[in-house]
Amino acid sequence: MKDTVKKWLEEKQVDMFLGYKMVHGHALPYCFQADRLDEVDDLVVSRERYSLEKMATHIAAVYPEMKIGMLARDCNQRALKVLDIWDQLKKDSVTTFNVNCCPSPLKNHGDCSYLEPSPVGPVKVELGIDNNMSVEHAEHLDQKERFAHWMYEFSKCIKCYGCRNICPVCFCKDCSLEHPELIRSGGALPTEVPLFHLVRAAHMAGRCIDCGLCEDACPMDIPLRLLYRKVGSSVSDLFGYRPGIDEGKSPFNLIGDAPTTEPRPI
Amino acid sequence: MTQKKMTFLQELLGFVGLEDRLHLAWISSAEAQKFQKVVTDFTEKIRTLGPSPLARDYQKAVSL
Ligand code: SF4
Ligand code: SF4
Repeated sequence: MKDTVKKWLEEKQVDMFLGYKMVHGHALPYCFQADRLDEVDDLVVSRERYSLEKMATHIAAVYPEMKIGMLARDCNQRALKVLDIWDQLKKDSVTTFNVNCCPSPLKNHGDCSYLEPSPVGPVKVELGIDNNMSVEHAEHLDQKERFAHWMYEFSKCIKCYGCRNICPVCFCKDCSLEHPELIRSGGALPTEVPLFHLVRAAHMAGRCIDCGLCEDACPMDIPLRLLYRKVGSSVSDLFGYRPGIDEGKSPFNLIGDAPTTEPRPI
Repeated sequence: MTQKKMTFLQELLGFVGLEDRLHLAWISSAEAQKFQKVVTDFTEKIRTLGPSPLARDYQKAVSL
């Protein structure tokens, strides 16, 4: 891996390479460049992950000509596909070095933080939502319980915007969660609960690639991934579209049905 | 397409326990009676459901 990255940089196949550098025992997102080639020796693949493609999107917005190299797991590859479809980061400007999410022979183990969810404690089980619950299970809770438990989770939110900021496919310049004319604020805090979470969930339709970074980032341990998984399963059932997997425009960046060349009755 | 998008929203709201409070109907500007009926029926339905649980202080529902 390191030799390939060095070669790419030396031969100017890429102008920069986004990966992780070991700094004092932490694998931090880092931009490797040709003028500091020996730093590539500190390039690591570990459990740590970050939306490198989000950094790439920001870089490409300022330097559209930049050829960006990037370390990519499966989730990064799905996100890149979505970003290309939504015209945020064209796929020609990114070269990926793909690494496996599941390097172990036991396929249920993953070399990343989300594939091994941690068990939740008794208080959360009683009052809130178990982060590891399946969408089907969560759908079948009784209505009162469902409402109370989700509100318990949402009401913990400290509006840090971490979930939005980490999300590789959250890219709008004007975020409706910060727009006083679009959404009512909750007094001292931005956007009230549960509108904050529902608006974000609705906006993830056709985009969320189920990387789970939002839930990883959430300091209040709100089961965001489960909520967005419901979004994903509804979008797949209703529109037959799975973001990051299926080719073509998402049903949410089309007005009306997808144009076809099929003749239609007049 | 609109119908699917609304169904999506209904499913999302239902997932967090806020079902049955969103309704979509096609009514042309020439269908005054249909408009009247849809609105009356939906108003009745909401009346039976009672005030939105969000209108109450949700902290109570949460039983912290
Ligand atoms: S799982 Fe979360 S962070 Fe990842 S794409 Fe979906 S909403 Fe964004
Ligand atoms: S990361 Fe969690 S606490 Fe922060 S805004 Fe998102 S849901 Fe709220």
